[in-house]
Amino acid sequence: MRIVIGQGSCGIAAGAEKVRKALLNTNINKDDISITGCIGMCYLEPIVDIYDDNNKVTRLVQVSENDAETIAQFVESGDKSLLDKLIVSDEDSEFLTKQTRIALRNCGILNPEKIDEYIGAGGYEAIKKALTEMTPEEVIDVVKTSGIGGRGGAGFPTWFKWNAARSSEGEEKYLICNADEGDPGAFMDRAVIESDPHNLIEGMLIGAYAIGAKHAVVYVRAEYPLAIKRLKKAIEQAKEKGLIGNNIFGTDFSCDFMIKAGAGAFVCGEETALIESLEGHRGMPRLKPPFPAQSGFWRKPSNINNVETFANIAWIINNGGEAFAAMGTEGSKGTKVFAVTGKVKRSGLVEIPMGKTLRDVIFDIGGGMKTDKDFKAVQMGGPSGGCIPAELIDTVIDYKALGATGAIMGSGGMVVMDESTCMVGMAKFFLDFTAKESCGKCIHCRIGTKRMLEMLERITKGEGKEGDIELLEELCYSIKDGALCGLGQTAPNPVLTTIKYFRDEYEAHIKDKKCPAGECSDLIEYKIDADKCKGCTLCARNCPVNAISGTVKNPHVIDTDKCIKCGKCYTVCKFGAVVKE
Amino acid sequence: MINLTINGKAITAPEGSTILEAARANGIDIPTLCYDKAVEVYGACGLCVVEAEGIPKLLRSCSAKVSEGMVVNTESERVVRSRKIAMELLMSAHDGDCVAPCQLNCPARTDCQGYVGLIANGEYDAAIKLIKNKISLPASIGRVCPHPCEKACRRQNVEEPINIAQLKAFAADMDLKADSYMPDIQEPTGKKVAIIGGGPAGLTAAYYLTIMGHSVTVYDMMDKMGGMLRYGIPQYRLPKEVLDKEISIIEKTGVKFVNNSKLGVDYTIESLKAENDAVIVAVGAWKSSSMRTPGEELDGVYGGIDFLRGVIQGNAPEIGEKVAICGGGNTAMDACRTAVRLGAKEVYVVYRRTRAEMPADKLEIDEAEEEGVIYKFLTNPLSFNGEDGKVKSITLQIMELGEPDASGRRRPVPVEGKTEEIAVDSVILAIGQKLVQGDVSELELNERGNIVADPDFFTTSIDGVFAIGDATNRGASIAIEAIGEADRCVKAVDAYLNGQQLDTRVPYISKRDEDTIDYSDREKKDRINPKVLPADVRNKNFDEVSLGFTEDEAKAEADRCLECGCREYYKCKLLNVAQRYDICPERFKGEMPQKYSHDENAFIERNTSKCILCGLCVRSCREVMKLSSIGLMGRGFKTDVSPAFSLPLDETNCNNCGLCVQLCPTGSLTEKFNLPKQVPLDEQYSEEFVEIDGMKSSVIVSRYNGKVLRVIPNDEVSRNSGLSREELRKLL
Repeated sequence: MRIVIGQGSCGIAAGAEKVRKALLNTNINKDDISITGCIGMCYLEPIVDIYDDNNKVTRLVQVSENDAETIAQFVESGDKSLLDKLIVSDEDSEFLTKQTRIALRNCGILNPEKIDEYIGAGGYEAIKKALTEMTPEEVIDVVKTSGIGGRGGAGFPTWFKWNAARSSEGEEKYLICNADEGDPGAFMDRAVIESDPHNLIEGMLIGAYAIGAKHAVVYVRAEYPLAIKRLKKAIEQAKEKGLIGNNIFGTDFSCDFMIKAGAGAFVCGEETALIESLEGHRGMPRLKPPFPAQSGFWRKPSNINNVETFANIAWIINNGGEAFAAMGTEGSKGTKVFAVTGKVKRSGLVEIPMGKTLRDVIFDIGGGMKTDKDFKAVQMGGPSGGCIPAELIDTVIDYKALGATGAIMGSGGMVVMDESTCMVGMAKFFLDFTAKESCGKCIHCRIGTKRMLEMLERITKGEGKEGDIELLEELCYSIKDGALCGLGQTAPNPVLTTIKYFRDEYEAHIKDKKCPAGECSDLIEYKIDADKCKGCTLCARNCPVNAISGTVKNPHVIDTDKCIKCGKCYTVCKFGAVVKE
Repeated sequence: MINLTINGKAITAPEGSTILEAARANGIDIPTLCYDKAVEVYGACGLCVVEAEGIPKLLRSCSAKVSEGMVVNTESERVVRSRKIAMELLMSAHDGDCVAPCQLNCPARTDCQGYVGLIANGEYDAAIKLIKNKISLPASIGRVCPHPCEKACRRQNVEEPINIAQLKAFAADMDLKADSYMPDIQEPTGKKVAIIGGGPAGLTAAYYLTIMGHSVTVYDMMDKMGGMLRYGIPQYRLPKEVLDKEISIIEKTGVKFVNNSKLGVDYTIESLKAENDAVIVAVGAWKSSSMRTPGEELDGVYGGIDFLRGVIQGNAPEIGEKVAICGGGNTAMDACRTAVRLGAKEVYVVYRRTRAEMPADKLEIDEAEEEGVIYKFLTNPLSFNGEDGKVKSITLQIMELGEPDASGRRRPVPVEGKTEEIAVDSVILAIGQKLVQGDVSELELNERGNIVADPDFFTTSIDGVFAIGDATNRGASIAIEAIGEADRCVKAVDAYLNGQQLDTRVPYISKRDEDTIDYSDREKKDRINPKVLPADVRNKNFDEVSLGFTEDEAKAEADRCLECGCREYYKCKLLNVAQRYDICPERFKGEMPQKYSHDENAFIERNTSKCILCGLCVRSCREVMKLSSIGLMGRGFKTDVSPAFSLPLDETNCNNCGLCVQLCPTGSLTEKFNLPKQVPLDEQYSEEFVEIDGMKSSVIVSRYNGKVLRVIPNDEVSRNSGLSREELRKLL
């Protein structure tokens, strides 16, 4: 019997560490209690998996420290009925069973802090195979056959980058992992590093071998302390086993590893800015060309891939490029991990083969909306991406098909919105993010995103004027054309797609000074429907500014001059008597 | 060598060169603000973008390399659009004044800050030269101009505006006293221009066209040149001796004057056209406007300019002891003060609004009152009443102020049934003047009865005939307005004579938002006015009222100037690019990234609000000088160039080499120069060599009016010499 507690950052945030401590205080044999990473069912954390001696798992969800004794009783008695309230439902189980896990295959299963578990599960076999049975060119060929594209968002063929770096002249080359995951709502990379760091290391070793690099660097944001901690531990363990260092598996191949904690600038996810930051400079993108494959870290040939890309490599080497290519569509091979968040019922990590639809992710796996409101749109690719409206819910997950909507595949952030989300406000939110994260180097991004944000702020305040939409569009296209790096070039996407699909919402803000979703506080008023109000006084008691008056059992009234539109009354009213107008 | 095509031109370029280098080597100019060969390419400004066939993205030509068969367009529609928006965005965040508001508000765009600064520095020669770039009659205009420059002067936000007009008169008087400044005349072009009208507009056009080498003849109906300056402005305000001297300088340049020659009598526009390559009509407005008040036809009711002209010509009309002047402008002031001087006992000024709304110059209003003029505010003539055909009294309607009208002044409205009657011997109507239409019947007139002239090209209904001044479009205005039109018209005519067409619209200029300017750190210093003759002396004669500035007064007054305009205006690359595209940064008006700030040491002045973050300073300091005394701080819109830990530059390892200043494309970093008052001047730059510790070293030297203003190190030796600018200057 083993008791495994999910201890990704999400699990810990939900109380997994408290659960672990509580379990350690029970009669359960301490050696039977261990940890794992994130299984991806973030909405059900903390999760405790109980493996019987046949390795059959009983999954308990939303466990609290108060459940520790119950679990201990079960361990002692084997009486499963004790766990009735905790065992995951069949419906929720489907969240995982409907997925196809490659990058996440070990996440939430293996103990990320124990290399032996990874090796026991077939880990480091792929690098061994590559080093002892394959030439670097053959490795690149397999990757080419797999058809994998960069999982950071653009989907650029990985083999091509590897080949370019390999072909570049120079003895000293660098392999860099981009773990500067910065999109609001994206946490795929963090989960992989926290839950399966050896898979990343192995993928990177294979990449380093393929391009001829002796140095591997992981650029990870300092806001991911747990990921850094586990990665450090994993590197140490791998060093001890001779998997990192000189003459790995007795071959000529040597590779060292370095972790660089970034200071949390979104732009450092752009590869040339990442390199600048690695070198100790201010994180600002460099002009391309030259591309990093020619002149990168310390002006040496360098190759940069995203965490998720590397997380697929070992599997590809073990199973062959064809196996990977068998999944997906013509132009998009393999699987893709999405971080599904927002108004969706089941939020978390979803890995599915390319070619599935958005409906599959949001409704089939995600379970649809958690509110009684209708699905409105999904934001793909965070601030660099765009929104896809409800009518395009059957869009296939494929680089080209998603691109055709104006959104992008992106690194996998998927923010689900329902009818209560104002699309202008949503665009403003992302613009606020990109404007703040702009490095300040090029004019289009530094000033352009700020001016766009100012326009959106005016519009959501009801100060928009005729011609603003056209001016926004003009500015958007100009920024896309003129910005120096990907951050600026993609920053207009949320605005362009919301204008494309929700132009009427923009017009309502500008012409009628109304927010149809009822979210822009400057454009709404709270009122009490006297017919529905029972005079329960709940709203009046909760109003922080005493703007609601009325006597018991009589309809209440909101003084709109005093009201600060905090929405508290709207939330607390049990009779739906408070209305937004 | 690589073969490629740029803008349809087949060129070759060495392998590995960038598109920008290839274009420049072939005389094709691609704008850029962040590129300099001294440092590594950076790509921030994005202005050097070009389009290459087969490449979907715009290329930054500073970094994109040439390739065989490449077809590049550096001015495609998409390229221009991208540059235009980049410049609009950049200028929307550039908090600086290219030129001072005084200059912008002067219809002739006279460089007020320039000459005021030069006067403060005691450089009177340079000052008059600068003034005479725009105004050919500065002693006269300095005396009579209602000085819109002063209305825009920011010093009034501290206490009072600079006395710009009087300073101009001072510099001009200094010039008239000694060897007067004579401009260089260019080689004769062989082109002939006839100008009809020898007033401020005509004389200005004549002066500048002559300097350009054209042969100019001015025709005028009066016996002397000067127009309204001579026949409309009283002697006590503008002594005719001053005007004569200035006109004689104009004549000395080679302009031919033909007086007593009237349009429609002695010649026609067509006849002049036949004899000349171009004709400029600057006939002015010589007819007093009517008030359409009953009784205007009575004896003793005179037009304002007719009255003034009569006095000046020595045949003053009979005005008696009680005189009423109707109107509130400067002509009304001239008329009432002249009436006082003629000996009238009771002189009234009838004006339908109050003192505050009077368009006349405040000083004039006050001085007239001191001389005994009686103001009848909030009154309007209902009728002029006569006996035996001669005016005896005026019935005045009492008025009150109502809502503001289109001009922003409160509209006077009659108080029902309230009137007043005053006895008069004569009435002078000074409410405006009009073109005498019959004179210009050959040209198309507008509904106001003025000549239709294009506001930017000054063309009329006849090809080759241009028109300017009071006779055109909106009618009579102030002299400087006519001078400004003349100045622009000269350029249009010159272009026309060369077979071209020139749009004289003033190009884009960066201006600060007046509301954001803080004056709290400015020390208050009272405005200095020249001394005047005592009221009881001057009201009995026509001697000039103003005694003019003494040298000390002029310098002290000029020293009050706040120096609003940018010192780098003449060599600002940013402005140069901004003016190349038809930009409208107002579209993107919003928050400014930096607070207007100012940091200086002995050599360098830093103004972060003008910074465009091209990074040239930071990069050159790091890459060339290996100092990194300054760096980039903050992120995004709030990114800023700053010395380490925001210390003053003097407390860093900065060695004052000046390289950053030299590379700064705008006025964010400027090098101070060798004058007490830092005036924006069109300096002449040249590279010169000095010997430092036995080594030959290059320096850049700027001169203005023959004087060395700045010496800037220009190579490794001079940059690292540790010599101060003063020491470098001595080595020249």
